[in-house]
Amino acid sequence: MTDLATANKNLWRDVFDSEDLRYCFNCSTCVSGCPASNANPPLLIRNLARMVILGLEDELLEQDTPWTCVTCSRCEEFCPMNVKPFELCLAIRKWQSRNDETRIPPSIVEIYSRGYTQAVERNTEQRKALGLPEKLSAISEYPELLEKFRKMLMQTQVISKNAYMFEGV
Amino acid sequence: MELGLFLGCNTPAIRPDVERAIRLTMPKLGVDLIDLEGYVCCPAFGTFPSTDEDSHLAVSGWNLSLAEQKGLDLLVECGSCYSSLRVGRELILHDEKKRARVNELLQPVGRTVEGKSKVRHITDVLYNDVGVEKISKSIDKPLDGLHAVVQYPCHTLFPSELVGFDSPPARPRIMRELVEALGAKVDSFSREYQCCGGAGGFHGTSAAEARGFAQTKFDAIKSETQADFMVVSCITCLMFLDNVQKELSEGNGKYDIPVFDYNQILALCMGFDPKQVAPICTVSRDRILERF
Repeated sequence: MTDLATANKNLWRDVFDSEDLRYCFNCSTCVSGCPASNANPPLLIRNLARMVILGLEDELLEQDTPWTCVTCSRCEEFCPMNVKPFELCLAIRKWQSRNDETRIPPSIVEIYSRGYTQAVERNTEQRKALGLPEKLSAISEYPELLEKFRKMLMQTQVISKNAYMFEGV
Repeated sequence: MELGLFLGCNTPAIRPDVERAIRLTMPKLGVDLIDLEGYVCCPAFGTFPSTDEDSHLAVSGWNLSLAEQKGLDLLVECGSCYSSLRVGRELILHDEKKRARVNELLQPVGRTVEGKSKVRHITDVLYNDVGVEKISKSIDKPLDGLHAVVQYPCHTLFPSELVGFDSPPARPRIMRELVEALGAKVDSFSREYQCCGGAGGFHGTSAAEARGFAQTKFDAIKSETQADFMVVSCITCLMFLDNVQKELSEGNGKYDIPVFDYNQILALCMGFDPKQVAPICTVSRDRILERF
């Protein structure tokens, strides 16, 4: 049983400081038509909204479901109370990343190291066969720009706080 | 018109035949494409936008500043790149505090951004700038006698206030009209407006459920249409809806609808070499390609 007495009543300010959230009346429009509501376990945005409003901090930190969102933003379009459920979903991910370093997406280390999650610079043979320029104007072609890009990222909050993750890449 | 080409990562790395099709077809329609030196990840929603606002703004600002420096708007095919760049631009253009912060991050590396460059999806440019009449006149091998189904990229529909260009947004018609302009008949089906389900963590964390979700679309296509092929205009839709059919065919039933990006089928109709513009696929495209 959830003990509301131990809840963090200011959680919503920390996660999603938006007055829109209090208008949510759990209608489930955000769940209806959501592809990831078919996931196992299902993404149920209205439940996440309740957790944030009620201040259920420990439960929210354990939730994996925000990461199954396909980012289609259908919920954002049809929410009748303009709660911005998709923004809420991203806000929960960010809050988790701030409070639990194991939540930080590993893909950002790849982007830090080469600019992208895919190895765009390696596909030279296939590109040549298709009549494309073998080399893209990708950042890997401009080492001085890549250095600047990394320097910029290193000033940002979560990355500077977890700089060890980016050492030696 | 001239536009900055934002290719993203999946197109050049995994489906460069789509890149070839875009680079061949757009100039023929009067849209010249300029490469952006040193562009990076859009950033994809599962990366910096899921980490913190600081890094999200910095990476969006980096890409937008490249276009801004050249005085160009951006052309994007990938739905996720399109939506992410639109969100980034919105934050930078309309929120003074965020604009100040992103410039604070860009300044030490010698860049600035105001959010002047617009972000355009390729179907928006094709429909609203080029127009279906000009497209029809540009082709010499129409798709007469063929039936198609279309997949709308979800990231170009919602939230319509921010990313939309179809009207009304929840009843889109642009993809249909673009394919009809090539001479094919576009069949309607009950799951036409359902997202492909291929983006984000859904397929990665719940592969069976994501397959099942896509299967409902393909079952509807099979039972309700005479589709010879499917047309998409997003690299995620293309890769997922093509690849998932192989996974589905390992169960009961055969799923073998060829999937094309719009610019690929346009390039074929314009007479470009199928070996350059459409060779990479999971479901065989031979029965369509043999017409060309």
